[in-house]
Amino acid sequence: MRIASWAPVIVLLLLCAIISVINPNFLSFGNMVRISQSAMIPLVLGIGATFIIIMGSIDLSVEGVLTLAAVVLSMLVLNGENANDYGLFAVAAVLIVGAGVGFINGLINVRLKVPSFMTTLGTWFIGVGIANALLGGMATRINDPWIRGLAIERFWGFPWGVWVALLCLLIALIIQNYTRLGRHVYALGGGEELAALSGISVARVRIAAFTIAGVFYAVGGILAAAQLGLGNAQIGNGRLFTTITAVVVGGTSLSGGQGSVLQTVVGVLIVVVLSNGMVLMGVPPSVQIGVQGLMIIAAVALSINRKLMKIIK
Amino acid sequence: MVRNIELGLGRPLKRRQLLKGAAAIAAVGMFPAIISRRGNAADMPTLVNSIRSLSNPYHATWNAGGAAFAKSVGAEYVTLVTEGNSEKGIADIKAILAKTGGNCAINIDPNDAPDARPIVEACKEAGAYVVTQWNKPVDLHPWDYNPNYVAHISFSGVPYGKAMAEALFKSMGGKGGIVALGGIESNVPAIERKAGLEQALKENPGIQLLDFQVANWSDTEALEKTNAWLTQFGDKIGGIWAANDGMGLAAIEALRADGRAGKVPVTGIDGIKLAVEAIQKGEMAGTVAWDPFWQGGMGLAIAFDAKTGVFDPAKESKDHREFYGTGVVITGENAQAYYDTNIKSEPTLDWKDIWGRASGQIQYN
Repeated sequence: MRIASWAPVIVLLLLCAIISVINPNFLSFGNMVRISQSAMIPLVLGIGATFIIIMGSIDLSVEGVLTLAAVVLSMLVLNGENANDYGLFAVAAVLIVGAGVGFINGLINVRLKVPSFMTTLGTWFIGVGIANALLGGMATRINDPWIRGLAIERFWGFPWGVWVALLCLLIALIIQNYTRLGRHVYALGGGEELAALSGISVARVRIAAFTIAGVFYAVGGILAAAQLGLGNAQIGNGRLFTTITAVVVGGTSLSGGQGSVLQTVVGVLIVVVLSNGMVLMGVPPSVQIGVQGLMIIAAVALSINRKLMKIIK
Repeated sequence: MVRNIELGLGRPLKRRQLLKGAAAIAAVGMFPAIISRRGNAADMPTLVNSIRSLSNPYHATWNAGGAAFAKSVGAEYVTLVTEGNSEKGIADIKAILAKTGGNCAINIDPNDAPDARPIVEACKEAGAYVVTQWNKPVDLHPWDYNPNYVAHISFSGVPYGKAMAEALFKSMGGKGGIVALGGIESNVPAIERKAGLEQALKENPGIQLLDFQVANWSDTEALEKTNAWLTQFGDKIGGIWAANDGMGLAAIEALRADGRAGKVPVTGIDGIKLAVEAIQKGEMAGTVAWDPFWQGGMGLAIAFDAKTGVFDPAKESKDHREFYGTGVVITGENAQAYYDTNIKSEPTLDWKDIWGRASGQIQYN
């Protein structure tokens, strides 16, 4: 089991080795910075989704929360459309919006007993819908120097956004390893009936996990808005695919109970390095989608392998 | 279908976005499907614009153009919104034909190409006059439905993809390397714009295309492809050609994070507000505006003039019946003027000049 769970790391190292043989620029410091920039948003989103997937549920509201967060942020900080300039208060408001959507996800899931797949599908559309209604299809330019600074200003060579993502990772690791909630999330994924029988409040854990995930997606929204310098209703497009792929490629099992936030870091790096590397290696655009598809199948194959190993053991 | 929305939003309409659009409506509450404005003349034909939605800047501007024309002639103005639903689009047209007894001039952006046929047939039967834009079956021609099917208007991506490439080369001093961001590979405007770029490259041997990547009209993908290029080509990148404004603006953000925004010229297409502002700031070298205000107003003007007998459609030449409209090329030289007349204030158009932007009969391959 030990070796199989290292499989994603081996895949990542192999990938890096192949790319750097073909194009040595891959290993340059400049490219490391660019990879970290590309990875910061999927990482924050993946961290949030990891908790939900470990719990055995699924969260499709990633794009909805991210879009809503980016749009609300763009309208509250110094921007090109209105006179607002709430700075850090806007950031706090956005995090509350993310927590709110996550909380609603959990509440609907637990109280109305709607499967997480349908619940979060619904909040995804509602989130994007509200964002669309707020902006009427337009894009809002963000002029707040602090927000833009997340993508542009650097500390020790890396943009501030990367440090924010690493801070999120640290917080997630603490939640996962050192809190009761973290252990309960694993317990729910391992077997919900057993967890309930042993006195865990399943409803409370679910609602808490969805709420925390919502906050992480909102951070992703802030970073996305900072990176593109604008908020619009399409800013989240394609993020769900990357997020779920990264979590699963990292080795977190979709059936729940297995995986970790650190594995998601590896998964995110595999996805980001692959897309960066395909451009560096000159893979034709029409082939790139196919390679991504192959990667997903390989990821599923890996997780099946690991289960076999467990049975052998 | 894809072609239409792409030009409006800078990316194609996908099934999921349709669902999102539906969710948007659910979230805002019920939008009235028919927004009507009373005119003052009773026997004046009713003016009808049928569009996809009012929640994107492209169609919102289209609607403003229609309202401006209706005001100029004092006719009643009705906006029909399909919300991406072909059946609703056709049913609404039939309802308005019944309500007005066929006394109407219709300007429609059909939700999907096949929708144009039943709509044109219904208009012919009711005696209404109709102009279609962007979408229609290739074998459906205005001259087969004289005089009711007045005209079909579309835009070719080739000359504008080429014009942007030329603007880019010019701002690079005619030599150096460029990279290019394309839209979805199977998308007609993406194919046409890329063909324009290739024509320009052939005519300018001093310019080298370092790499062409497909970013699928997505800001995020464009940002990431540009990031990878900065590693791969570094200072060899003298300019970036993007098939739409959204991807071009994302490329600028990747340059900005690298401290190079404004040093490497970038071009887009679509003419959205942020792109025009980027041109004014010197970060973008050019874009093309399709002018939906003109499409929404002039489409109605053409149908209205035919209905009221100003001209006889049957006597017009084919390059007035099925024609390419003219985009407005915006560069540093005219960006300020364009901003002042089209973005800061409502544009004023001469509604009598109905063929002024007809630039050739539509070609089908």
